[in-house]
Amino acid sequence: MSEFALHVATIAALYAMLALSLNLQAGFAGLINFGQIALFGCGTYGAALAFSHALGPLAGFALGLVLVVLVALLFARLGRNLGADYWGIATLSIGEILRTIATNEIDITGGAQGIGGIPALFDTGSPLSGRLILFAVVLAALIATWFAFRRLTQSKFGLSLRLLREEPQLAAAFGYDLDGLRRRIMLAAALPAALSGFLFAHYLTFVGPDQLFASETFVIWTMVVVGGLGSHAGAVIGAIVVQCLFALVPFAKDAFGLPSEFVAAMRLVLIGGGLIGFLLLRPQGLIPERIGGVRG
Amino acid sequence: MMVRISAWLTVGMVAAVIAVPAKADIAIGAVVPLSGASATQGEDQRRGIELAVDEINAAGGVLGQPLKVIVEDSGGRPPSALDAAKKLVAVDKVPAVIGEYSSGITLPIGQYLVQEGKLHVNIGSSSNKIRDIGPTAFSVIGLEAVSSKFSAEDVAAQGWKNIVIVGPNNAYGHGMAEGFKTEFEKLGGKVVSTLLYTEGQTSYRRELQQAAQYKPDAFIYSAYGKDGALINREAFELGVNKTPWYAIYFSMCTADSKPEYVVGQYGMDLNYIGPDGKSYEEAYKKKYGADFKTSFSGYGYDAVKIFAAAANKAGSVEPQAVKAALIEVGKDYPGATGTITFDAERQRSYQPYLKLKKTETGMDVR
Amino acid sequence: MIPIIIDIVLRTGDIALAAVALSAGYSLVKFPNIALMQYATVGPFLAYLFASWGAPLVAAALAACIAVGLIAVLLNITVFDRLLKSGSAIAMIGSLAAGMLFTAALLVTAGPDSRHFDFPVEAPLNVFGSPVTGPQLLAVAISLAAFVLLAALLFLTDIGRCMRATATNPDLARATGIDARLVVRVIIFLSGVLAALGGIGIAVKGELNILMGQDLMLPVFAAAILGGLGNPMGAIFGALVIATAETLAATLNFGPLIGKAFLFIPANYITAASFLILVLALLFRPHGLFVNEVKRV
Repeated sequence: MSEFALHVATIAALYAMLALSLNLQAGFAGLINFGQIALFGCGTYGAALAFSHALGPLAGFALGLVLVVLVALLFARLGRNLGADYWGIATLSIGEILRTIATNEIDITGGAQGIGGIPALFDTGSPLSGRLILFAVVLAALIATWFAFRRLTQSKFGLSLRLLREEPQLAAAFGYDLDGLRRRIMLAAALPAALSGFLFAHYLTFVGPDQLFASETFVIWTMVVVGGLGSHAGAVIGAIVVQCLFALVPFAKDAFGLPSEFVAAMRLVLIGGGLIGFLLLRPQGLIPERIGGVRG
Repeated sequence: MMVRISAWLTVGMVAAVIAVPAKADIAIGAVVPLSGASATQGEDQRRGIELAVDEINAAGGVLGQPLKVIVEDSGGRPPSALDAAKKLVAVDKVPAVIGEYSSGITLPIGQYLVQEGKLHVNIGSSSNKIRDIGPTAFSVIGLEAVSSKFSAEDVAAQGWKNIVIVGPNNAYGHGMAEGFKTEFEKLGGKVVSTLLYTEGQTSYRRELQQAAQYKPDAFIYSAYGKDGALINREAFELGVNKTPWYAIYFSMCTADSKPEYVVGQYGMDLNYIGPDGKSYEEAYKKKYGADFKTSFSGYGYDAVKIFAAAANKAGSVEPQAVKAALIEVGKDYPGATGTITFDAERQRSYQPYLKLKKTETGMDVR
Repeated sequence: MIPIIIDIVLRTGDIALAAVALSAGYSLVKFPNIALMQYATVGPFLAYLFASWGAPLVAAALAACIAVGLIAVLLNITVFDRLLKSGSAIAMIGSLAAGMLFTAALLVTAGPDSRHFDFPVEAPLNVFGSPVTGPQLLAVAISLAAFVLLAALLFLTDIGRCMRATATNPDLARATGIDARLVVRVIIFLSGVLAALGGIGIAVKGELNILMGQDLMLPVFAAAILGGLGNPMGAIFGALVIATAETLAATLNFGPLIGKAFLFIPANYITAASFLILVLALLFRPHGLFVNEVKRV
């Protein structure tokens, strides 16, 4: 049981980093990113490509960072003259194009069969202690991200972000450099997403294009909406709640003797129903955004 | 409001977990994709497993107790598949887990199970990387090299020299195309083009017309479900079927196609006419009222049956004991998918395939 | 050349109806409704269900379209109208979630297998030396009829004039006594009907399964955006551009240009063509091909 709990906690923490990242874009800056999973994919493929070229994990992390900076800058460039909904569709398309490339360029990425056998980051002899150390690292990364983002959004920069979200034209009229703001926010949000992907790759030991389906982005969206758009604590809580519900579905099936097809539908109902239910009935999420509280 | 509902939901689920009664029967686990892009294959895998369980329990179960297979959905997502595998091992305490379908999921869950000292039986992935999972991993499905060699020899024997390969742009299609090309070129043939189509399109006319421009001696293809039905239909409509077509896993490629569309096709398929295979095919038709949807149900069936046979032989379900017994049982074991023999790395070393041709009156064994 | 034209026409038919539906809905309710893709899936499933009860195909299709139209209106009143108050992006996320619930419902009721309408196998007709089947002609005819009827409705009837007036300037329209709520409901109903009809057209000449709407999404969005969201007739043109690009990418042999026998764009990149066009369109012509004014969208 504890082994299972450790696994759920590790995955929840990895997703919480993705949720924090999406929340910074969508919740604070109003950037509706439907290609979030592509940022994650930069991290996973960074780790995988370094491994397949016999380079160490450090090189993998560096490669992931280079990739994610490029993708984040592309996203930011696209945002220049698009409304939020249009930008969402644009990022979705780029995510799909990147997934197509990862599937098709067999010589580089291993194609649809992916790259397997990526070693665990911490080889201590026993798999359990290795997993415990990895969890501690993931947790540390999550907390670091949380604090960094909190500092960022409580600064003046955070105020300009909210202005970008609420009144972009007013922000421009005040002389804010909207392109620059968007670029910086995308870069800040991209780093933990790539780090999450990098750690995920070494945890799962396998990287493939099937991990980058657009539906994964929508899982992260559910976490953010359930937790509360514009609240860091909300994003983390949302990730934990959704991941725990996911993990509990099979137990509910066993307990109530439900056929396994229902489990499949149940997962969709949890994501779709969670999203729509919260948007309609509690749009502020579990932990509402705190208005004010900005230190100058 | 919503918070309260979800809170109660969580409480209910946790209570449900605690309330799960201790089971007396013997349980093993299975992880298959019941939703997502591979749901059709996953559902068929589940059917095979179900048929085997029915049959084993009707004959008295395993070690005198009823057998239960806890089937979990992977959703086609590696994190969910790993959730499921960890749940099966850490909570249900199963000695063995069978599954999955796509190599990208089979590899990580296999590696996890091996680390935990549990048995893993691969029933759907044919990537050659499966071979390296570890000492308690088995495959009842022949890996790429096994089926590619057979079909390449069969194609070469028809006298076709220049061929075009058509397959889905996924892990299965990539493996099939690569494996076939390697074996076929060893035999002096030439693969003039490999066309990997994106699954789930509304039409494959454009892909077919591109392939036809190469004017090959034959098309070698593999496809499942809706894609296969659409490709066969459109090949017929465009007249591309005047060139010979060779189906890798015939029944899977043509499951949803009208006979008119696929008359004259050559192909290979699993051997379902062995002593156990024929009765399996009949049991499947009886229970589900249809022909096989894919070629994958038989492996799920064989995995459960061979596990039960090994557990009975070992007199225990302890993984190491069953592993030793599996190696013993896996020598000319009469499976529904043909004779199963494990090689030194516990992979299925040989599979007896059928050579088939569709005629006006039915399916001929060549 | 003729086969290429036929392929372009067939592909245009596949995406145009849903794209028109998306654009028409957007003209009055300003958010891109992703659930429309699921209307295009639910439509053929309902038609299939009604047909399996013994209804003739035309009646089954008609009933399915009306049912989907009503679902669209209902969803709009209960969900999207309320979400739209928090912004178009929130409404779009809501429509995505609604789409997932449709998929879940279909997964439980119909299962993941694909089906097809049972037409007798006939030898294809010969159109200028290229084979074309009856169901394919039927699908194209359905699309054409729908476009003509929609155009007639928009440009020749009172309700059509009201719709265009409301789309251009809702406040002024209301001031002149137009019942804006009714107009919105009519156009939402129509968008549901058109999306369902588009799905039925695809299913008639091919297969239907629960993923078909999801697979249509990006090409349909690309077509609607190219035509200018909110401009239904532009969406048809957008669909034509997408279909042409995809078909040429698939069938043109670039080999002779570089002195080789064959050189094709790999088939596995064909579907990426519409994604790429979408991104380029958003970068350079975010208002569609027909709008010249420069403003934020």
